[in-house]
Amino acid sequence: MRKMLFLATTILTAALAAGSAWADEKEVTVWSWFIQSTMDKSIAAFEKAHPDIKVKYTYYNYSPEYITALKAAAASGSLPDVIGLQPGSLTQQYRDNLEAVNERAEKEWGADWAQKIFPVNRKQMQMGNPAGDKNYYIVPQESQVLCIWYNRKIFEKLNIAAPKTYDELKAAAKALTDGGYIPMFQGAADGWQNENVFLMLANQFSPGIVDKAQAGETPWTAPELVEAMKAWKGLFDDGIFQQGALGAHAYPTGAQLFAQGKVGMMALGSWWMQESKFPPPLSEYVQNMEGFDFFYMPPVKQGNPASPPVGGIDIGYGLTKNGGKNPAAWTFLAELTNGAGLQEALNDLNDLPAFEGHSPKGDITDHVKEMSARFMTDLPKAENQRFASPAVAEALDNALAAVAAGSTEPEAALATVQAATEKALAAQ
Amino acid sequence: MRAEAVRAGPATAIERRPASRTSTLYLFALPATLLFVVFVAYPILWVAGQSLYIRSGSGVSSFAGLANYVTVLGDPTFWIVVRNMLLWGVITIPVQMLIGGLLAYFIERHTHALRGFFRTMFFLPVVTSVSVISLVWVQIYAPYYGIAQEYLKHVGFVMMTSPIGDPKMAIYALILVNIWQWTGFSMLMYIAGIANLPSEVLDAARVDGARGWRLAVYVIVPMLAPATKSLLLLGVIGTLQTFPIVHLMTGGGPNRASEVFGTFIFKQSFVLGDTGSGAALSVIVLVVALVLSLLQIVTLGARLTPAGKERA
Repeated sequence: MRKMLFLATTILTAALAAGSAWADEKEVTVWSWFIQSTMDKSIAAFEKAHPDIKVKYTYYNYSPEYITALKAAAASGSLPDVIGLQPGSLTQQYRDNLEAVNERAEKEWGADWAQKIFPVNRKQMQMGNPAGDKNYYIVPQESQVLCIWYNRKIFEKLNIAAPKTYDELKAAAKALTDGGYIPMFQGAADGWQNENVFLMLANQFSPGIVDKAQAGETPWTAPELVEAMKAWKGLFDDGIFQQGALGAHAYPTGAQLFAQGKVGMMALGSWWMQESKFPPPLSEYVQNMEGFDFFYMPPVKQGNPASPPVGGIDIGYGLTKNGGKNPAAWTFLAELTNGAGLQEALNDLNDLPAFEGHSPKGDITDHVKEMSARFMTDLPKAENQRFASPAVAEALDNALAAVAAGSTEPEAALATVQAATEKALAAQ
Repeated sequence: MRAEAVRAGPATAIERRPASRTSTLYLFALPATLLFVVFVAYPILWVAGQSLYIRSGSGVSSFAGLANYVTVLGDPTFWIVVRNMLLWGVITIPVQMLIGGLLAYFIERHTHALRGFFRTMFFLPVVTSVSVISLVWVQIYAPYYGIAQEYLKHVGFVMMTSPIGDPKMAIYALILVNIWQWTGFSMLMYIAGIANLPSEVLDAARVDGARGWRLAVYVIVPMLAPATKSLLLLGVIGTLQTFPIVHLMTGGGPNRASEVFGTFIFKQSFVLGDTGSGAALSVIVLVVALVLSLLQIVTLGARLTPAGKERA
């Protein structure tokens, strides 16, 4: 009997001790489409600095898995503590489920914390907020700058220089095609890549005009945007994009062909540098980014400048209402966006930082450092690439596809975007 | 007593069961009923309820009656979707049944040692991931550098555009992929049907002089009617549920030319965040599926297996 009593007491004490240890360990749940291998490094760095907090990360493909999972979890009140977000429409869809981070951020980084974020990102953070709502519901982690990447080894082989005029771009495309390469790969089945190229073109005709158009300050049928739409069609007609671009996807098809050295140029962004950090085997072009360099879209019309840098937030994170009740969730979010977690992502060349004062470290070549520095120089003056209303972005995607297919004239296509914008603004 | 009850029919037998036993029988049905209510009935009612609400830009939901239905029916994209769905059903269902039936007939009647091999090969696309299928077919359709182009160039044919990038061709290009993927399923259903054919009927037909084509058309095809009806019913439901292949290959584009109900609902609900019109579309699809299924059962009967009992 005494033995039994001793055994029971021991078990009870052990259970209580284990329970107490369990209770001491805090857990943070995170959902995102952010690449798992890099997130694992960020989490490891965070957990090393905060051994009492465990982070449970769930990776989803962005579409349809991530956005459907978010919708279902929001409807049932079971969102995780921290969620990956894009600025504008995605953040706005979940605004009711998110905590405003203003006070926490001020406490963490000081009263001028928002000034440490690059201007284009800061603007995107409040994109789509109801009038008068100055809260921030997303904390950006990484920024991006859009550009035209080119395979410099192929260019050297064919004796082509990075084009500075539209004629040079056409000549480069022809030389690449004649040489058996895909000139400029456009995944025109993907709305996002079409939007990116159109933004490069539109901002060349009038910097900031797309922002004005989506805010209702300039009609989408303005001459500059019509010209940009005509230039967009020209990229197909002049043989700059590959044949059949409308049925092609940028990922994985285009990216793979580009990495393998079968494509001369591709409109992507600063995130392309991360290819060099993917697990081996890597192609000779991707290895340390040796085969690649970038330029901005040359003037598509006489008198135009080259496209200005266009970009903004690549990915940001929101603190959900559930996460608001878990102090460890903010601790993680802060480190992920502007601390040890961010540094790991930068070291993986995942993209550019959203906050000032960070740069990639570790095993990085001079060539990559030089390209990264050029992007960082351009980021503070980048034009906005994001849309506040998904309906406007969707209308623009359809307009771009219709014009590219030759089924609609640029003016008529842009009139449909104008109609969508008016409807979206009226709904607000 | 027991024998009499059985002879008198099931209704009489149940009437004579004690109340406690009847309650026990209801208890057996309870788990299935609960699962149905929680996972089928409640979500349907929830979606139907959502279809009557509109969410404003500030995030407030308000009762809107049938406004979402009016908006959806007035959207030109809805009618593109209806046209695409009609094309999808009218082309894929008979073509899959025809090719699947022919494959089943030739595999079952004319192959012996390699029967298993052929069955497996033709069924392989059915069990292949849609992601893989879409990636491969995007590459096949790609002009200039695509797989089909590699072969076509030997006969001097150059693909100038990708069929999935042409608004007029996109839906047909997707239909072709769907037929390629699902014909193996029709084949399997017919193989099961052929395997279950009573040999005495076939022998009698042969004795009466039915051979080859006549045996196939006048004896085997009518006797495979249950399999055909099943495929028709599943084909209609499958058509209305079409989503992954379109989402992955064209996303409903270009310019919504290949939009189907699945991608349209997805965009409205998850991309545009318009849950109300997404829910209205879901209810419309549900009603269409219900009406078409009932119509088929009423007109063709509910005998979906050779051993099944004719109820209509």
